[in-house]
Amino acid sequence: MTAPRLPRRVDHLRWVFLGLAVVVLVVFLLAQQQSIEVSYGQSPSASGRVAEGSADELSDATLPSVEEMTAQVAADPVVRLPGAVARWNEDRVRAAIGATDTRILVAPPGLTEEQRKQVREVEDVTIRIIGTEVSGGLYGVTADRIAGWRAQFATHDVTDLLVTLITTLNKDPRPEDRDELVWREPTGAELDAVVADLRADRPHVAEGATLTRIPTDAARNAFPGGARYAAFPAQPYGEPLPAYGAALTEVFPGDPIVVMYGNWIEYHGPDAEEFAELAGASFYAQLGSRLSRYDYPQVNVLGAYLDQVTDIRYAGLFERPLPYQPFDPLRVALPALPWLFAVCVAAFMLLSVRSLRRSAGGLLARPGDPQRGGVRARLAGLTALAVEVSLLTDARSNPALTRGVVKLQAARDALDEGLPDRHVSGLLDEATSELDDTARTVGITSYQPDLYLRGRLS
Amino acid sequence: MGQPLLVWLVGGVLLLGAGFVTALLPRWWGRAQDRSVAWSTARTAIDSAAVSRDAVPSSVAEAERLLARAEHLAAGRGGVRAARAATGHARRADELWQAAQREHTDGTARRTGDVRPAEGSTA
Repeated sequence: MTAPRLPRRVDHLRWVFLGLAVVVLVVFLLAQQQSIEVSYGQSPSASGRVAEGSADELSDATLPSVEEMTAQVAADPVVRLPGAVARWNEDRVRAAIGATDTRILVAPPGLTEEQRKQVREVEDVTIRIIGTEVSGGLYGVTADRIAGWRAQFATHDVTDLLVTLITTLNKDPRPEDRDELVWREPTGAELDAVVADLRADRPHVAEGATLTRIPTDAARNAFPGGARYAAFPAQPYGEPLPAYGAALTEVFPGDPIVVMYGNWIEYHGPDAEEFAELAGASFYAQLGSRLSRYDYPQVNVLGAYLDQVTDIRYAGLFERPLPYQPFDPLRVALPALPWLFAVCVAAFMLLSVRSLRRSAGGLLARPGDPQRGGVRARLAGLTALAVEVSLLTDARSNPALTRGVVKLQAARDALDEGLPDRHVSGLLDEATSELDDTARTVGITSYQPDLYLRGRLS
Repeated sequence: MGQPLLVWLVGGVLLLGAGFVTALLPRWWGRAQDRSVAWSTARTAIDSAAVSRDAVPSSVAEAERLLARAEHLAAGRGGVRAARAATGHARRADELWQAAQREHTDGTARRTGDVRPAEGSTA
């Protein structure tokens, strides 16, 4: 009873393997997701597209009409529209311009796409400055050094950019960039106000700064141990910048300190030498052109900066321990899936071959196979009977015997060809009925096949 | 990444191939077997009919025609349906000839006064 059940169970096993292979394949396909983000440890910093204006980067500045602006530019080589912030060292710019007719239009930051288009439509303008974004002719200029970004974002100083653009347009030799920013020690009163806020574990927001809150998630990811924040408005051009970073580091040694001047962010504290410049350069190189064109509130700039810090932390550059990451079985199992799949396929193939060989039993069974003994014995018995009867036949019984012999011959051929037993025994049945006929015609009952075979077998 | 990708591809192709082979191969084999069984039956019927024909001294036109048709079909080596048709024709012819033979022997027996029944009773 167990013999036929076992192959059937194996046969079912085959389908189990096939199902498993399909499941593995589906899991593998679903786990495929392409991402352009490359990160050492799945940095949780926020990413994604943003629509213009969704981050409060637009100011409410209004522009005169294009005709008015064109008229103003025609009347005056430097036109400052209301709300414009960009400043420059006029001596150096004048020296760069020399005798050429260079007209500069300065627009406020945070213009909409439509307004920027209007500014571009103003005729006969050599250089357009939107916010602190400087462009002219076919060129746009951006800073590429910490000093350049610091001047641009902390004090709205675009001198270097202007000089670079003007000399490029005039095909003059380009002078070296000059860091004109002047630092000063903060006064005791200034420092006390900041220290008081930071000691009370709250960010210091100076008058005029737009930092309303600290982006909590981004701050926690960037500085898991906490950091101190101080925000100041952009320094008016020409005034020395109080160096709060150095002074606060002395007051709070070992604490990360983030100081904002306008949209310029400085990091002070542990690892500042290797970390501050990297964070600042990667942040402003990536977002500098947006920051210069728009008027972002400090909260958003700080949030983006903290995301950048998080990405750097997760880039594994500083061998800092990563925050705990939950165990993901799929990620662990993914490399094993192809091999699991291969094993399933192999098992399915093997079992299929087995079942094929079994289903082909009728064809592949060898002559002399014990399971065919019954048919062979019957064929042999009937053949012997035919030989014996042939001695007694006459003209009447001969045709039936000959037909019987023909059918026995056919049965033997069928057996040798490996045709199924059902067919062979059908032919033997026909032969039996012919021999039966013969025996009846001859008139000897013991030559009736049934009786004859029974006699031989006993 | 190249090697696992290869595993998926080769595995998928193998699975698909195995599916087709396991589904189609038994069917092909079964069909081939059906065909040879049908022709074996047909050949047996034709041979048997030929034996019956040789046993009859007179000729039976209808049976001759049927057997010729069956042999024609067998020569054409058609499929299962041709074999069945040939089998049918050959069997009809066989029956006709056997009937003719019975008629013939009965006639002879009546004329010559065959002793066969007497012998049968003695046995």
